[in-house]
Amino acid sequence: MKVSINWLKEYVDVSIDMGTLKTQFTEHSQEVDSIHPLVQVRDIIVGHVLTCEPHPDADKLSVCSVDIKLNTVQIVCGADNVAASQKVIVALPGAVLDKGLVIEPTTIRGVESNGMICSLTELGIAQKYHGETGIHVLNDDAVIGSSALETLALDDVVMTLDLTPNRADLLSMHGVAYDVGAIFNKPVSIETPSVTYGELKNPMTIKTQTDACMSYYGAVIDDLVIKESPSWMKTRLIAAGIRPINNVVDITNYVLIETGQPLHAFDFDALNSETIVVRNAVKDETFVTLDDKKRHLEPQDIVITDGQKAVALGGVMGGAATEVTRETKSILLESATFNPITIRKTSSRLDLRSESSLRFERGIDPKKTQFALMRACALLVEHASATVRQNTAFFDYNDLKDKVLRLSLVKINHVLGTNLDVSMVQSVLNRLQFDFEMTQEVFNIKVPTRRQDIQTYQDLIEEIARLIGYSQLPETLPLNRTVGGLSPYQAFKRSIRRALIGLSLNEVINYALVDLDRNNDLTGKPTNNMVFLANPLSEQHQVLTLSPLNGLMDVLSYHRARKMNDVQLFEIGKRYTTHKETETLGIALMGHYQPQAWKAHQPIDFYTLKGIIQALFESLNIQEVTYDKTELDAYHPHQTAWIKVQSHKVGHIAKLHPTTARRYDLEDVYVCELNIEKLFKYKTPKVDYQPVQRYPQMIRDVAIALKEDIASKQVIDAIQDLPFTALKEAFVFDVYQGEHLDEDKKSLAIRLVFEDSTQTLEADMIDQHMRVVADTLVNIFDAELR
Amino acid sequence: MSTQAQINALEKALEKELNMCQKFAELNDIKAQYLGKKSQLTDLMKAMKDSTPEEKRELGQYINQAKSTFNAMIEAKKTALEAASVRAKLNQETLDLSLPGPDYTLGQSHVLTQIIESIEDLFVGMGYVIKEGPELESDAYNFEKLNLPKDHPARDMQDSFYISKHTLLRTHTSPVQVRTMLEYGGKKPVKIICPGKVYRRDDDDATHSHQFMQIEGLVVDKNTTMSDLKGTLRIVAEHLFGAQREIRLRPSYFPFTEPSVEVDVTCAQCHGAGCPMCKHTGYIEILGAGMVHDAVLEASGYDPKIYQGFAFGIGVERLAMLKYGIEDIRNFYINDLRFLKQFK
Ligand SMILES: [Zn+2]
Repeated sequence: MKVSINWLKEYVDVSIDMGTLKTQFTEHSQEVDSIHPLVQVRDIIVGHVLTCEPHPDADKLSVCSVDIKLNTVQIVCGADNVAASQKVIVALPGAVLDKGLVIEPTTIRGVESNGMICSLTELGIAQKYHGETGIHVLNDDAVIGSSALETLALDDVVMTLDLTPNRADLLSMHGVAYDVGAIFNKPVSIETPSVTYGELKNPMTIKTQTDACMSYYGAVIDDLVIKESPSWMKTRLIAAGIRPINNVVDITNYVLIETGQPLHAFDFDALNSETIVVRNAVKDETFVTLDDKKRHLEPQDIVITDGQKAVALGGVMGGAATEVTRETKSILLESATFNPITIRKTSSRLDLRSESSLRFERGIDPKKTQFALMRACALLVEHASATVRQNTAFFDYNDLKDKVLRLSLVKINHVLGTNLDVSMVQSVLNRLQFDFEMTQEVFNIKVPTRRQDIQTYQDLIEEIARLIGYSQLPETLPLNRTVGGLSPYQAFKRSIRRALIGLSLNEVINYALVDLDRNNDLTGKPTNNMVFLANPLSEQHQVLTLSPLNGLMDVLSYHRARKMNDVQLFEIGKRYTTHKETETLGIALMGHYQPQAWKAHQPIDFYTLKGIIQALFESLNIQEVTYDKTELDAYHPHQTAWIKVQSHKVGHIAKLHPTTARRYDLEDVYVCELNIEKLFKYKTPKVDYQPVQRYPQMIRDVAIALKEDIASKQVIDAIQDLPFTALKEAFVFDVYQGEHLDEDKKSLAIRLVFEDSTQTLEADMIDQHMRVVADTLVNIFDAELR
Repeated sequence: MSTQAQINALEKALEKELNMCQKFAELNDIKAQYLGKKSQLTDLMKAMKDSTPEEKRELGQYINQAKSTFNAMIEAKKTALEAASVRAKLNQETLDLSLPGPDYTLGQSHVLTQIIESIEDLFVGMGYVIKEGPELESDAYNFEKLNLPKDHPARDMQDSFYISKHTLLRTHTSPVQVRTMLEYGGKKPVKIICPGKVYRRDDDDATHSHQFMQIEGLVVDKNTTMSDLKGTLRIVAEHLFGAQREIRLRPSYFPFTEPSVEVDVTCAQCHGAGCPMCKHTGYIEILGAGMVHDAVLEASGYDPKIYQGFAFGIGVERLAMLKYGIEDIRNFYINDLRFLKQFK
């Protein structure tokens, strides 16, 4: 809402510094976006063109002598509409025009020019508001030498409000005046319009067949003289952001901004009957709107009809057939109220949003419907020489009574945490001009119909709080005794993050909405439980991701495209399917892990990632982990495994298949996906404390050669299955293939650690154990001792 | 020559030989030569047997003294040779100390995670628990129970991503508040914050993102006041933007709160004097808040005649942008490590 301060002054005293108005209105009512002069020009005056001759040396220029009262100046003018005897806007040397342009004396093609004759655009009025291409020609009654700004009533200030949707009342000058009055404790005076009627009687009958039209007032006005509106009215409309057209259109717009009530004028002679019937549109009904477009209507739309045919789309747009033209002599002027939801649906479906539909959507003060019509009639009489027929035709089913709400002082203070007394609340209600009665610190407050947003006691508390000022609220903290904290699961997620950060991985956050191909990529085939948007904005973001790995691929590609090749990432995201959202960890690695710039180093391989996962599990106390080799589309056929905890599948680890990698312009990429919820479920819940062993360990190694396709885990399992109580652990510490071994063989070096909590171990017994180990391995795996 | 003179001569000779000696092997030879069984000192000792007991005692003293002197000299040389040998070995181990060490790095959490965790910790310290909920939400939880009935302008189909008629991607984390209140059964005090991803049907540009992070807070109890809200938000503002911040509450509108306020914090750049960063207002808008609407309490099973409370909602990206002067919201989701690594 753009508010002309000059206009506002008609209702309330605004002799306040503009900076104060801005901050006070922002702190007590609604945010003021800006407050600044309508035009930023200085020292422009009214001149009278005495003579206007062609420039001797330039086709398109004229040399004018201009009377500016004190003397006559010569000005070279480039506009083709300049002519002798015009009253014009003159900027003399020293004057400042829009965008800070300072006028200086100059010589144009050998002819002296001591100023400039101005267009409205040069004053800072955008062309869309006046449509003029040349200089602006003033009315003949403009006083030579006087201020051109005052003559045009452009010496105004505009306050732009950023309104929240509830404050429909502030979509009118009257509403803004009430709030300014309440904030600054000033009286507000709004005159009730008085109309002088003519001889003729209004012949119209008006009725409705739909609940969606709550009231309808219609006045018939004759003898219209259509012409330009007075300067002050045009300026106020421009300040409000509306282009002046002619007096009839301008008056309806003026009253709209003033009261918040939209009006619509029909060419009375174009109406076919003396009846107006409001009804819902019927199936397949069409209607040609003012903009000459044929509209297909739906039963929820409201149409204004002449009893048969639609003549307007109620609250949204008039019809081409009854449009007011320059030839119009009589009009039917409509002031009505409609169901806000209906108007919103129709205007948004047809993309016909306007100042009118906006106000209908937000809700109108039902008391303003008749008021606005009378106000427009009075203005038409005054500015269009019109005659108003007697008896306004109408129906009105609106509740015009003020709502009464009950609110106690105790409740106000209990909600706000304040110590307000009765007089402070009374003062606010008086400033708001809300009538009230009070008994024993309980208020019965009459909320005027202009404040449709106030529905409950909570709304009233807000009125009191905002006008007293939130700066007056104390700062306290809730007194309730509660224990804060992270849930074990939330703490678990944080532990995952800490561990991976410690392992040098970086966290990323990706969009959950991805494109369809991407979702199929890593699974290798389409999945049918994906979650699709019904109304996506683009293909790129049309379906919810099945894995955080999807987004991680993009981040890897992004870095590789920028020559950053050593990248290790993780994301705690979700897998979204039609029946479940599962919190999921994704890890993706490429390049070198902990790279060392000038030293030889190994690229990341399968075991790098496995080591990271082992360390993660170790830190999370996740035990009994196995890696079961598998084959999945999109992954390397020999470097893919399910990760299982206590035999439950919790995720997978894999190298991307080169074909998959190539799709993202990547090469060697290792990924891991883990179901966080399952990890949490299968983690070992508590610490099982064991005293540190007092007796020394015994360490023995065994080296064997065996078939290369025997997994080391099988060998370790076989050792651990032996009935040695003292065997603490067994692990592979060296793997060898190559020289001195058959091609299909590998050599494993295994270390066994023995320990006894009660005594020092006997070397003989351990040697005995090692012989059993050797025999076992030879027997089971056809291994050869080395 | 007297024995004494012979010993002196021997000491001179030993000193000379030790000066010349460079190797441990030579030193062993020298030791044998001067202190061994065939050394001149031994000879002198043997020669003593013809002397008187008095002479014997005197000579014995001389010889023993000489022995320990020689020994000390040889030991000193040995220490010196050892030091030289270690030094020679270390001389093979020169390094270019200006070369960098390996690039051991810790990873780090995303800047949005950093801010969320920091706010979570602040509130946990004030007795709040953290509540999370689904991103695919029903219309009832996302809108209806939050006083946004059907046909409310704020739930325009165009503004939300719908999955089906009744399911959408949540547009705020407020549904978690409703879920928690229902879970608590309308009885015990609620003191929660709800962080998480939310979605709006916006085209991505420098200031809009179709996905973003929100943290909402909710306190409901019998005596929770708007002053409590203000005091809490002051702590949040100081936690995020440093001590000595003023906050300003000004009227606003949200369907789920009444009164509703927009909360500004004094500009970090100009401390309220006005500058381009705060558009010359001295304040920067950081969050929206208010007292919970009775209709929301009722829909969530709390009796508004007994309970009241406050709620607030923070846009995490916006906070990060204000805190660090980040120019484009899309940076958070590009995940360029050169961007992410800056936030320690
Ligand atoms: Zn500032």
